[in-house]
Amino acid sequence: MRTKLHTVAAAGAAALLLASCGSGESGGGESAAGLTGEGSGESCTIEGEVPLGAVLSLTGAAASYGESQQRGLELAASELAEQGGVTYDLTIEDDQTDPRQAITLFDEFVNDGVSLIIGPTLSNAAVQADPIAQEAGVPVLGISNTAEGVTEIGDYIFRDSLTEQAVIPQTIEAATEQFGLEDVVVMYSNDDAFTESGYEAFADALEDQGVTISETITFSKSDTDFRALLTQAQENEPDALVVSALIEAAVPLVTQARELGIDVPIIGGNGFNNPRLMADAGEAAEGVVVGAAWNSASDNPENQAFLQAYEAEYGSQPDQFAAQAYTGLKLVDQAVRANCSAERDSIQEALGQIEDVPTVLGEFSIDENRDADHPAVVQVVENGQFAVLQ
Amino acid sequence: MLGQYATTLTFIALGAIFAYSFYAVLIAGQLSLGQAGFAALAAFSGAYLAPAPADVGDVPSLLIAVAIGMSVGALGAVVLGLPTMHLRGVFLAIATLGFAEAVRVVLLNQEWTGGAQGLGVPRVLTVGMAWTALALVAYWFWRMGRSRYGRALEAIREDELAARSMGIDVGRHRLSAFITAGAVAGLYGVLYAYYVRLIAPNDFDFVAAVEGLVTAVVGGSTMFLGPLLGSGFQTIVPEIQRAVGVEAGWIRPFLASLLLLVVILFLPGGLASLIPRRTRMPSGPADDDATGLAGRRHPEAGQPVVTLSGLGKEYGGVHAVRGVDLEIRAGEVVGLIGPNGAGKTTLVNMISGLVPPSSGSATVLGTTVGSTPVHRIAAAGVSRTFQHSKLFNRLSALENVLVGAHLVSRPTFLRRLFWLPSARRDEQAALRQAARCLERVGLSELAANRAESLSYGDQRRLEIARALASDPSLLILDEPAAGMNHVEAARLSELIRSLARDGLTILFIEHNVGMVLQTCTRVVVLNFGEVIASGVPDEVAADPAVIEAYLGSAEEDADGTGARAGATAAGAGDAPPDAVANLRPGASGTLDTPDATRDAT
Amino acid sequence: MQQLLNGIFIGSIYALFAIGFTLVFGILDRLNLAHPAVFAASAFVGIELVERGGLSLWAALPVVFVFGAVLGLVIERVAFRPLKNRADAHFAGLISSIALAGMLIAVLQWRYGPDTRRFPPGSFPDTRFEVFGAQVTLVQVVILAVSLALMVGLTYMVTRTRLGRGMRAVAENPTAARVLGVNVDRVTAVTFAISSALGAVAGVLFAINVNTAQLGMGAAIELKGLAVIIVGGMGSLPGALIGGLLLGLAEVFAVQHIGSSWVNVIAFGLLFVILLLRPQGLLGARKVREV
Repeated sequence: MRTKLHTVAAAGAAALLLASCGSGESGGGESAAGLTGEGSGESCTIEGEVPLGAVLSLTGAAASYGESQQRGLELAASELAEQGGVTYDLTIEDDQTDPRQAITLFDEFVNDGVSLIIGPTLSNAAVQADPIAQEAGVPVLGISNTAEGVTEIGDYIFRDSLTEQAVIPQTIEAATEQFGLEDVVVMYSNDDAFTESGYEAFADALEDQGVTISETITFSKSDTDFRALLTQAQENEPDALVVSALIEAAVPLVTQARELGIDVPIIGGNGFNNPRLMADAGEAAEGVVVGAAWNSASDNPENQAFLQAYEAEYGSQPDQFAAQAYTGLKLVDQAVRANCSAERDSIQEALGQIEDVPTVLGEFSIDENRDADHPAVVQVVENGQFAVLQ
Repeated sequence: MLGQYATTLTFIALGAIFAYSFYAVLIAGQLSLGQAGFAALAAFSGAYLAPAPADVGDVPSLLIAVAIGMSVGALGAVVLGLPTMHLRGVFLAIATLGFAEAVRVVLLNQEWTGGAQGLGVPRVLTVGMAWTALALVAYWFWRMGRSRYGRALEAIREDELAARSMGIDVGRHRLSAFITAGAVAGLYGVLYAYYVRLIAPNDFDFVAAVEGLVTAVVGGSTMFLGPLLGSGFQTIVPEIQRAVGVEAGWIRPFLASLLLLVVILFLPGGLASLIPRRTRMPSGPADDDATGLAGRRHPEAGQPVVTLSGLGKEYGGVHAVRGVDLEIRAGEVVGLIGPNGAGKTTLVNMISGLVPPSSGSATVLGTTVGSTPVHRIAAAGVSRTFQHSKLFNRLSALENVLVGAHLVSRPTFLRRLFWLPSARRDEQAALRQAARCLERVGLSELAANRAESLSYGDQRRLEIARALASDPSLLILDEPAAGMNHVEAARLSELIRSLARDGLTILFIEHNVGMVLQTCTRVVVLNFGEVIASGVPDEVAADPAVIEAYLGSAEEDADGTGARAGATAAGAGDAPPDAVANLRPGASGTLDTPDATRDAT
Repeated sequence: MQQLLNGIFIGSIYALFAIGFTLVFGILDRLNLAHPAVFAASAFVGIELVERGGLSLWAALPVVFVFGAVLGLVIERVAFRPLKNRADAHFAGLISSIALAGMLIAVLQWRYGPDTRRFPPGSFPDTRFEVFGAQVTLVQVVILAVSLALMVGLTYMVTRTRLGRGMRAVAENPTAARVLGVNVDRVTAVTFAISSALGAVAGVLFAINVNTAQLGMGAAIELKGLAVIIVGGMGSLPGALIGGLLLGLAEVFAVQHIGSSWVNVIAFGLLFVILLLRPQGLLGARKVREV
């Protein structure tokens, strides 16, 4: 076992040297010895700092998700720093919600010799930038990419975010059972990759459950006045509104629906899983069903600790983006400690073997397609809180 | 070494190519935001239709996609351009923006584009290919810059009306600039697609269009290196911020915007204005060989040049010109005088085709005035100056005159692309012609100066030189001596007479009556839009009706400064002399000639 | 019926936003692309005033109005006045106002973070009416009334007051206006101030109406605002109102009869048709612009 580990380390070092030729001290300068340590798991000690890169959208259209992710990562990073043994040098960079910046940043992180890249925030950017890391043999952990096919880019690409396909069928099934849905109106923003793939999952799931879609209505992710669309939806007298939207649209949509007197259930996906839904939509949010990857009300110890630590640090409740980011860095730590090595190939190998790790998201595994595998949850807003839909 | 910066360098090249698509129209004074739409159409159709690199190889696949993309882009520009080319300024910008948004929405709604989740494209483009493409595009615009075509575009940007009067077919030139923009935007779209691996319609949204425009303007829209500098600037700013360690977050866009503001406010010509601009001068001696320029056949002395019968113009019930019958024969020097508001400028505007008559008919050099576009009338041999100088302000004096030679020089752009010696010969011939014209009005020393930097009197003379450069049969001068002192006016008078000796027919409006009587073979007096006298100077000067109507009141205008004041007052009081600037409603937003619209009344 | 009202209310928002746009364009022939940023900034400032400052909405609105006016003065001073005599003032003005907008949005993100915000519940009475079976909120009625009042008020000001005459003179010909004793710089600055103040009020009302304020809210409505001023006629105040209402109704019609995914195409289709058939816009004057 030990010899094998050394071979991996040597191969990793060679890859590092190749990948970073010419980039000088910051790259290959971190010698192989510096990134491989003694012990394993809790007791693992790595001498050098483990360089990690994160590419988030901190400004531009997706800034609000990027900021949540940044908070999640920083919270996890500070906890890991306290734990000791392995020190991480996490560089969080802003891709400005611009694919060109994401590509450039991936390139720079690869050249700078980071052990792993976290991100990027948006799925489209992941499809564009992840191949750079794949080609260079740098593992990537997506913390919010939900589009299909992201991990198919290659064997270095992982994610801890459940795809919409993994969350939504369960939601629709639960909702159909609960409300006896027969026909619904589906609304989604068709100019966003995340919500569009959410819509596709909804459509498939509704078909599976034998629910009729009486009308599909689209809007733009920047829209905030939905009254015309909602009135149109209302005319179909649906049993429920099924909505795939980001939180920016979710809040006004829910508010205006109630205002127009639409009192049928509203069913949303991951985009709705945000404490701001209750904070901003208030009364109107009551009864909204949200299928999501993260059960914010979960009482597992990791989640409770996370909720408390987050609240203490930032004075607000975390959303799913923060939870997944937080989990992401913790998983990376897990993977580094598994072989007690922060070499790229070692991390890649260890990430692939993550199984039944207790996390904020629940018992977490990485499946054979390098996708996340953990329980999803169907929540309903009750008294201004997410509660599990029984 | 280079490998580390390959990504950044590639994005600089891509950004620059996109900026060139804006430069292509900005140079002609058009503000379009439709390039994002062209790029989107090209990117999707190129990536969708071209064979996969796996089947035909990387480079062939890319080349086929580029060919498809550029054609689609150019075609899109034709389709959008035909109905919108008559729009100006902000109107054009918004119309083209509407097009781009419509393209985006349509692409989002298509199955084959993958909607918001985008269309996967193999990465084929390398940094070398990107820069090769950029070099070709930059080369294109570099060679265009000093060609007849390039000068014509610049002239349109500076003053569309003057450009028309120099015989430039503005509509055609604007459309071709627009098509170039479409093709270049198409190139960008395809190259972008083959680099970033996944294209979504939102990659070509309003923000992208604005960014392309910003890049082009920051770099400088009057010099071919501008887009490259702009793209370098825009791409490197985030890099520098990262390198310096500016914290990721709001501060970065703040600083980037601040920097942009500073550049725009303090570098009027964009970054390219930091590069000194060389004005080319003719290399050979300015001898008298006129070979190489298309000769023009002038009417024989005594032939009719202008025939007006019952010509009239009415503005909202006010008769600016009424029932004018006039014939001007080749070789004549006709002075048109009359009090302010007598309709002189309106009359010459009709003769030169700028204003359609409301009644009567006019034939100028065999062309019927009315529906004939201005540039056709110019092509027939009419050349003119304007009451308020309409020079191409940001061009040098020499370049102004070169534009004047548009009609008699040959197109050189395509030949310049291939460095054909004949293009150089033609350019040299045009340069010599321009130099001769400048010399003739005594401005040789100031050839390299920007037109706007010249003194008032020099500007008037430059306008004459520009008008002469087209080797006209009929030269129309609208108050050429305005703002000149006695000495200058006398010199001008001598110049006009020497031109007449060369066989040129001249019609000129002037307030300096002394000069008119001295210079002309015939004087026509206009009052309240009607001809009240016409004849040889002495006769007219003795005509009691003329003295009554005009000469008495014109005494104080006889000296130079008075004449200038008169000209300004005329601008305010005349029946709209420059009303032509507002002929098209869209012109109210004209970008290139704000003064023309502003000074309209 | 509900849809008709929806269209009118959406349209009145467009109009409110576009009036500020068109005012500056009418006077200066310049597009002020920082207008959307003012729209967003004032919504955020308004929220802060109500949330932290404890002001009632009615007290906050005048403060926001003044805030907008000050922003307008800054925009004019920083992004437009320095360019006044430049040959490329048109391009440069677009870019400088875009740059200023970028700075403004960045500052907003610094101050308020990237998250969406909203006016605290109850800051505006959520009274609802039923009109012919359609749901109408008080905010919507207020917005419509404000748009109408502003249009009437501004038209009165432009046509009847001394300031308005100054504006028209500057719009007509700045040089001549100066000769005639109009303080062109001041008229220009005041125009920007009014325009931005209107944008500010529009921002607050918009945020209440849709129950959310976002950094990108101005950008989201910007394109529609541009379409509206073209459709209505550049520089025409009643045109902006009619253009806004027309666009709102056309969009609702599109939702009902063509399909929601084509709404934006419809908006720009309308714009295109207008540009081709009547480039000066519905109420745009042919030669002499209204302010």
